Amino acid sequence: MASGATLASSSAFSGAATVRPTSAGRAAAGSDPATPLLDVRGVTIQYKTQAHLVTATYRVGFNVLQGDRFVLLGPSGCGKSTLLKAVGGYLQPTEGEIRLKGELIRKPGPDRIMVFQEFDQLLPWMTVLGNVVFPLKTTGTLDVKAAYERAMHYIEKVNLTKFAHSYPHTLSGGMKQRVAIARGMAMEPDILLMDEPFAALDALTRTRMQDELLGLWDDTQFTVLFVTHSIPEAIKIGSRILLLSPHPGQVKAEINSVPRGQESSNEAAALGREIHDMLFADQIEEAPNA
Amino acid sequence: MLEAVQRANIVYSETVGPEQFGIIQKPLTLAEKIYNQTWLRKVFIIVALAAAWQLYGVWLDNPLLVPTFADTVRALVEDVANGTIPNRALSSIEVLLVGFATGTLLAGLLTVFAISTRIGTDFLETMTAMFNPLPAIALLPLALIWFGLGAGSLIFVLVHSVMWAVALNTLAGFRSVSTTVRMVGRNYNLSGLRFVAKILIPAAFPSILAGLKIGWAFAWRTLIAAELVFGVSSGQGGLGWYIFESKNQLNIPEVFAGLLTIILIGLAVENVIFRFIETRTVQRWGMQS
Repeated sequence: MASGATLASSSAFSGAATVRPTSAGRAAAGSDPATPLLDVRGVTIQYKTQAHLVTATYRVGFNVLQGDRFVLLGPSGCGKSTLLKAVGGYLQPTEGEIRLKGELIRKPGPDRIMVFQEFDQLLPWMTVLGNVVFPLKTTGTLDVKAAYERAMHYIEKVNLTKFAHSYPHTLSGGMKQRVAIARGMAMEPDILLMDEPFAALDALTRTRMQDELLGLWDDTQFTVLFVTHSIPEAIKIGSRILLLSPHPGQVKAEINSVPRGQESSNEAAALGREIHDMLFADQIEEAPNA
Repeated sequence: MLEAVQRANIVYSETVGPEQFGIIQKPLTLAEKIYNQTWLRKVFIIVALAAAWQLYGVWLDNPLLVPTFADTVRALVEDVANGTIPNRALSSIEVLLVGFATGTLLAGLLTVFAISTRIGTDFLETMTAMFNPLPAIALLPLALIWFGLGAGSLIFVLVHSVMWAVALNTLAGFRSVSTTVRMVGRNYNLSGLRFVAKILIPAAFPSILAGLKIGWAFAWRTLIAAELVFGVSSGQGGLGWYIFESKNQLNIPEVFAGLLTIILIGLAVENVIFRFIETRTVQRWGMQS
């Protein structure tokens, strides 16, 4: 069982105040008066490749509350992206259930907007404005005039007003990701799903994008589920972090991150080391390369 | 201690202003600018070819084999002025457009069927494998039996020549649409025909356009060939028949004028219509340079 595995590994870091064993973490979330926005319960996801049946995650459970910046953190092969796709409705869990506002997730929908890592997520045949307006119009969220107004509002928020009428291929990688974020936010979804959105950016741009994302969050306190394999990014972006082990993905720990703006403090550094130790505790052979 | 000293040890260096170094940006010379114009280079090639033709014609001095370029142009101007060529061209183009439109429409239906079901994909793949290599003109004898002498048979072979090329390219285009773009579309609740219209067709547009261009070229060739075979149907034939007729009357400059007209129409469609569509779509979208 998932809880057994996590308890065993969690004994090594019981001294840290910010790290809670999963079972306790879940109990705490359950007793919270606020009902969770997103409720992931005992989710096992399996998919078939040409030759194998692969178990991507095994009985993963967590709750995301309104306004959380919830990060799924783990090495490659821990099924974090698969889990995000399941929340997006692109995959069905073989076991367990995922509920958004109490409703079972069965298929993709505009109440959960995905922001992908790939730059080609923008539709190349539309301008920046067209891309942001597109979901608002096709889903019938707003009438045309209101859609354009809201789109411009969010384009302004990501500082791309000057480029509203440019086509995506003329933008830099960072700008493309900003458009994708604006497009997601303009839909004002219940939860924004971000799949390593900054992983393909250069280090300097990535840092700036992280700051901008946090700035946007300060503005509107949207709920975001963020997937990353970077420990510093998880500590910086997340208010809560779910640590997953690889092959298959199981919950190792649920962590409250350091407060906003303290991502370079000693506390954050200590938390980073702890997470690092936890991640590499059971795969020593890979540690020297990391 | 040593580490601290090393860390503080920064060597600053001065950067110089723009007045210190030479060229950063400078306009190209006029000759370079002229040479960079694609259409100018192409016009130059055409002029050179025409000149070579004229010289060869004069040197050969046998208008029954190769009339000069000037004679051909004279015949062309004459027959354009007296309305023969425009009429013939128009009747060709009329049939062509009907065949091309029908073929494209059928290709579209077939491709949508192909992407929505597995058996559809297999069907389209098998049919294209069978019929794409088959020259449309080879079906003409059959078409004549089925549809008689007339536009019906022509349209039948045209549809055959257009449909497979367009369907093959469209299917390839649909398949190459990235998973990310597909997921984006599904994220906005797009499915079925709306998904095809709003995501797949624009995303696959470069391939679709390439298919249309190939289909157009196939159709044009097939039509002229078909007209050469049986030509006149109702009242007057098209350009192919004009060439055939002129040859029978040994009006060789007219034969060349007919060929030239076919080339000119082909060039116009490629360089005006398709180029216009390309600059407005795939080039503007950065999907083709």
